[in-house]
Amino acid sequence: MIIQLKKFGITLISRPSGKEAWLAFQPVLNQIQQEEKIIVDFDGVAVLTPSWADEFLTPLRKKFKEKVELFHINNPSVKATLDILKKQ
Amino acid sequence: MLNELLSIGKAAKLLGVSIDTLRRWDSAGRLTSVRSGPRGHRFYRQSDIDKYLQEIDGIARNWVEAIHPLEPKSDVYSQTRDIFQSRLEQFQSNLSHIASLDAVSLITAVSGEIGNNSFDHNLGNWPDIPGIYFSYAIRNRKVVLADRGQGILTTLKRVRTELTSSSEALKVAFTETVSGRYPESRGNGLKFVRSIIVNNPFSLYFQTGDAELYLKYGDNDIVIQQTKTFVRGCLAIIGFEELL
Repeated sequence: MIIQLKKFGITLISRPSGKEAWLAFQPVLNQIQQEEKIIVDFDGVAVLTPSWADEFLTPLRKKFKEKVELFHINNPSVKATLDILKKQ
Repeated sequence: MLNELLSIGKAAKLLGVSIDTLRRWDSAGRLTSVRSGPRGHRFYRQSDIDKYLQEIDGIARNWVEAIHPLEPKSDVYSQTRDIFQSRLEQFQSNLSHIASLDAVSLITAVSGEIGNNSFDHNLGNWPDIPGIYFSYAIRNRKVVLADRGQGILTTLKRVRTELTSSSEALKVAFTETVSGRYPESRGNGLKFVRSIIVNNPFSLYFQTGDAELYLKYGDNDIVIQQTKTFVRGCLAIIGFEELL
């Protein structure tokens, strides 16, 4: 399945909104087939911070591990955020 | 009308401070008045007030240093996170008229991370006035964020009990990844801010308590200095002077 992050907003900044996105998306995630890949598409996201990502991407990766793939990560705040999360 | 004289009451209202504060500023030479009338009452030039209002970092500093603060003027005061988010998006849109999408993305991310940090670490625990001061002067290439929260020392001390000064706490906040697990706080936000500032033509001034740091493009080290002034909470000034 593909998760288009821009559907949660294009300025993804705060912890509560990241957490809200994660909770709201649970019903969809619960329907995922066992071998299905999860593509997180950053296309159209203008601003991302570690606070938002930590509440959405971190639990997503924890739950689905290597099944999660990240696409369109060229935006500089997306890149900087992913770099910081990697160092955790 | 530039040289119109305003009463001290009117000037105080425009600046969002008390009349006593204006008297103190006058004595200290921070914002001088014009003495007029038989009793030598204080009046203020409209042009001086206008000039002062443009100094957004001065206003923020007064607010975080004040012993008896008032709420900031509504256009620079984000009492809740929702207000901050919508003003930040407005800033993002304004900035996009003069800067590249990449620069807009990074400056908005840094501002958003610092502003949201204030809410994350003080929710339910604001010592007096809740929320943050958020203002920007695109012409001066500057964003100012300030809060009257608990400050970094208090929030970090919960997980790093050995910390004794704002200087030590500020250093930890900018250099070490402290676990983000609730209720542990101050995760990686300021490390993120640092990495963006030192890798782009931006600058950052940050003060909490009696400790300050200044970071700019290419800096490798974090140099913390002791200040004479004391900031309740945090004061951050982001500069992007070299953007154009």
